[in-house]
Amino acid sequence: MINEATEERSWTTRRDKKAKKILQASQLAEDKILPAEKMVEALEMLISPGDRVVLEGDNQKQASFLSHVLTQLDPQKVNQLHMIMSSISRPEHLDIFEYGIAEKIDFAYAGPQSLRVAQMLEDGKLKMGEIHTYLELFGRLFIDLIPNVALIAADQADVKGNLYTGANTEETPTIVEAAAFKDGIVIAQVNELVDELPRVDIPGSWIDFVVAADKPYQLEPLFTRDPRHITDLQVLMAMMTIRGVYERHQVQSLNHGIGYNTAAIELLLPTYGESLGLKGKICKHWALNPHPTLIPAIESGWVESIHCFGGEVGMEQYVAARPDVFFTGRDGSLRSNRAMSQVAGQYAVDLFVGSTLQMDRDGNSSTVTSGRLAGFGGAPNMGHDPRGRRHSTPAWLDMRTSNDELARGRKLVVQMVETFQKGNEPVFVESMDAVKVGLDANLATAPIMIYGDDVTHVVTEEGIAYLYKSDSVEERRQALSAVAGVTPIGLQHDTKQTAALRNKGLIAFPEDLGVNRTEAKRSLLAAKSVEEIVDWSKGLYNPPASFRSW
Amino acid sequence: MSIAFLFPGQGSQVPGMLHELPDHPVVHQTMAETGEILGMNVLTIDTEEKLQSTVSVQLCLLVSEVAAARVLLEEGVRPDMAAGHSVGAFAAAVIAGAMDFPSAITTVKRRAELMEQAYPEGYGMGVVTGLKQDNIIKLTADEFSKDMPVYPANLNAEDQVTLAGDKRGIEFILRLAKQEGARKAFLLPVSVPSHCELLHGVSKELTAELDKIPFKNPSIPCLSNSTARALRKGEDIRHDLAVSIARPVKWHEATLLMKEMGATLFLEMPPGRVLTDLAGAALPSVRSLSFARSGIKSAVLLGKRYRNGRERII
Repeated sequence: MINEATEERSWTTRRDKKAKKILQASQLAEDKILPAEKMVEALEMLISPGDRVVLEGDNQKQASFLSHVLTQLDPQKVNQLHMIMSSISRPEHLDIFEYGIAEKIDFAYAGPQSLRVAQMLEDGKLKMGEIHTYLELFGRLFIDLIPNVALIAADQADVKGNLYTGANTEETPTIVEAAAFKDGIVIAQVNELVDELPRVDIPGSWIDFVVAADKPYQLEPLFTRDPRHITDLQVLMAMMTIRGVYERHQVQSLNHGIGYNTAAIELLLPTYGESLGLKGKICKHWALNPHPTLIPAIESGWVESIHCFGGEVGMEQYVAARPDVFFTGRDGSLRSNRAMSQVAGQYAVDLFVGSTLQMDRDGNSSTVTSGRLAGFGGAPNMGHDPRGRRHSTPAWLDMRTSNDELARGRKLVVQMVETFQKGNEPVFVESMDAVKVGLDANLATAPIMIYGDDVTHVVTEEGIAYLYKSDSVEERRQALSAVAGVTPIGLQHDTKQTAALRNKGLIAFPEDLGVNRTEAKRSLLAAKSVEEIVDWSKGLYNPPASFRSW
Repeated sequence: MSIAFLFPGQGSQVPGMLHELPDHPVVHQTMAETGEILGMNVLTIDTEEKLQSTVSVQLCLLVSEVAAARVLLEEGVRPDMAAGHSVGAFAAAVIAGAMDFPSAITTVKRRAELMEQAYPEGYGMGVVTGLKQDNIIKLTADEFSKDMPVYPANLNAEDQVTLAGDKRGIEFILRLAKQEGARKAFLLPVSVPSHCELLHGVSKELTAELDKIPFKNPSIPCLSNSTARALRKGEDIRHDLAVSIARPVKWHEATLLMKEMGATLFLEMPPGRVLTDLAGAALPSVRSLSFARSGIKSAVLLGKRYRNGRERII
């Protein structure tokens, strides 16, 4: 029995709609190449009101030409767009909301525009979808946020639309895949058109149009930390972390945040780490951007492999010369992939270390501060225990605290913070700003970066709290307050319990770890300046101008 | 690569300020224009003695800022946004094309007269630095008394707030702020409790004045004092100029917003230096320059360089 309604339904509405638009815009193009000066006209043909549009932009790479073109569209023709962006970074990402072109947004990170996002949300100028982690947002591109249009950036294209995305491949393949295989329209801005690509990162059959932009896409050096700014205190915390966490639990695979604390660890491996005889035992496999501060450890033979989320300005030549360590293409240059590296950082590594601006008594932490709606990008992916994990490693197994025959291991999630931040603001607080921001912005949940129950260790200049060992909420709070210094949370610590906590191994001070405070000096760093990193790289690292002081 | 013009408010005046403007045809023309409207030579009111009156102060600031900004425009330095602190917002509105200069002169004069008459004695302003904005706001709210009202008036920096209200009440709050660890807390030599609800009456009369004046949509966004939003409609600017005299100036938030809107260079009009320092402290990665401190040559040179996109901020 055949239902008539079923017979009449078209199963190719998206495909048909796309075909019509492509045919129309093709009149402006030669093969797949659209002229830059016709882009406003082209996008007005290709984007319909209410479309879901992915605009490529993360914390490093931005489709800056296409985002500028978007602001030029006539809001009478193109409006109510539902934007999907990893990162709201550029002014025009929000200008399109002020101009009435876009209406709703789903994103992962908005650090550089966090005040404006909060204001516009309050003023009803943008409708908030959800704040995601990178992986959640990528995932939803294939489920309920399937794009109608993807606006992306690449280094080079050929006439067939094949793309070379090189060191900064990042999330381009993920975005393109979600659009291209569900009859979305994919438009790529490229820095240049060439006859032959160094390698094909994305095949031309996934790409509908290419435009040569007037300027190269915006690219920020985000993961470059100048060792000059590392303090003795950070060296101390790094020494404690190496001894009290990496050595103790035999951490072999890991991800680092972008702070100076973790930069200090990277620069201590070839010196302090070496003196402890840890080479080959810890820190062998990394899910990490090409941090310049890791160069001395790589050169000293500590590092076996690094998979990268993205590239880093200035590291191109160095990476290309170390293919045994980095993932590289046939052309020799880095191949990064944000989605894959996030998966690796979530599931395949022993440990994540990060930092935060605020932490409460239960170890919940957030970098969201008053009046700013920032989101967290990838930190929550890596900064939690993925409970679906099945494979074991020594560090993972070492997190077991019971003899239960079903006991499983845990990801090590380490927060490394000085008890006070710049401006004498305590890090450990009764209530995080994030709670109020969440209420003010009417979010379904408070914008927490890393939940306390995922945190296994907290390292401060006072010592380490081994939170994973605690038996009760009360004990956990006591352990945390014991290392929280003279902050509001630290002052709640009952000093009578200190000895018991130390004996039980719930907290450790530097002396308990064999770390001598007086030895914690910057002179221990394998490189004390960007120049010295360049030296370590044998001249292969080419730091951006803003990091050159010589 | 965007340029923000900053227009300072009261407190930035210095004796002889109009005489220090560059010898430029646009400056002379602006002075002449002002003279016609006011029926007097404006160059006579920037003396130390005349600047005791808030009317002279506000007029001199308006003229100085508009003249200097016009010089920059003439020399090819075009702003992408404009922000004025308190009375500076009028010069910003003029340069953004939202209101004409003659209307600004008459309105600012009226505004100053209303302010002067509002509270002849017993009221004033104070400043606290080294305590967080939120803490000072909470402190003034917790300690509020109807007999000696005190309000936060200018939220200038993360850790700098001015207070307005009853002098005794301000002195009381200043003492408490010191006890709570403020770096500095002192009374300002100002007799008008600006930017708090005590000036509600002034705001009402100013609204009536402004309603008589035509406003156009600005060619560049102007930053609101009262809400720290980017205003793109003439009507919104009119409204902000009218209400902000009785509301706190959200300067810090406006400064941060300008960076998010793309500002990479802040240029402060003479005679101001304070807004340059506030911007420098709040946003070390954004270049800021005071026309008064560095001179017209530097302002033009830097402005053009940013305009042409040669300077890059990372």
